[in-house]
Amino acid sequence: MRGAVVSGTDQLSAVFSALADPTRRAILAELADRDATVTELSAPFPISMPAVSRHLKTLEQAGLISRTRSGKLRMSRLEAAPLHDAADWIERFRRFWDTSLHRLDAHLAAIQAAQAAERTTHGKEH
Amino acid sequence: MDTEAPQIVVSRVFDAPRELVYRAFTDPDHVAAWWGPIGDSLPRDEMEFDVRPGGYQRWTEVFPAQPDLRVRIHIDLTDVADGELLDGVIHVTGRLPGGFEPFETRFRVEFYDEPDGRTRLEIRQWLPGHLTGPSEQGWSEAFSKLDALLTSVEA
Repeated sequence: MRGAVVSGTDQLSAVFSALADPTRRAILAELADRDATVTELSAPFPISMPAVSRHLKTLEQAGLISRTRSGKLRMSRLEAAPLHDAADWIERFRRFWDTSLHRLDAHLAAIQAAQAAERTTHGKEH
Repeated sequence: MDTEAPQIVVSRVFDAPRELVYRAFTDPDHVAAWWGPIGDSLPRDEMEFDVRPGGYQRWTEVFPAQPDLRVRIHIDLTDVADGELLDGVIHVTGRLPGGFEPFETRFRVEFYDEPDGRTRLEIRQWLPGHLTGPSEQGWSEAFSKLDALLTSVEA
């Protein structure tokens, strides 16, 4: 466990918040290909190295990247687990609605069938 | 009000009149019949509904096959329009299935007439942390990117 990483839904909030920024998503996409230094990551973007450093700090706090020293170089590496957690959360809720609304559909059909049957019965009585 | 784009959007058409579909969301006997994952059960005596703006819907979900699980659902209704709209925050606590931790999530359900006596349901849901979320197209962009990332990471 890295120090700044929090757990549960707080972690999820940090992940979504970090993913909200297009530059940070682009940085993650770069890191999906390979580990990189802040200099390498600054090259494709029209922003300063300190600005990229700040984005890397946000990503690190969300647990989306880790940073290690290799000699003099500080390398950033993509950490996939929080992304999976975020995607997993959404997937669970999609499944929840899918299952529940399927049951709702069956429930509505059953009620209306019962109402129709009752109307038919009453119809015969009158 | 929350102007952020929701992370979950579900649109579904039901072959039932709008008034009945609305009742399925606001009458405890109906909700008990369809809410939740397969295998759950909502004890009727633990359901408390007061459906109006500023009101609430509360119930417990139990799982007969997994007696250690017990989920409390507390919905605070911020906005209600009879037959048309339910908007609020769902607070989920207790021992949740699937390793879920307690959380709260904002939701909005809109009910619309469709031709031939059918009803269209529009469900929107905001994940925890939406307050710091991105602007309008941010999410779809974020998630197409996320999908691409997950694919490349798994590859």
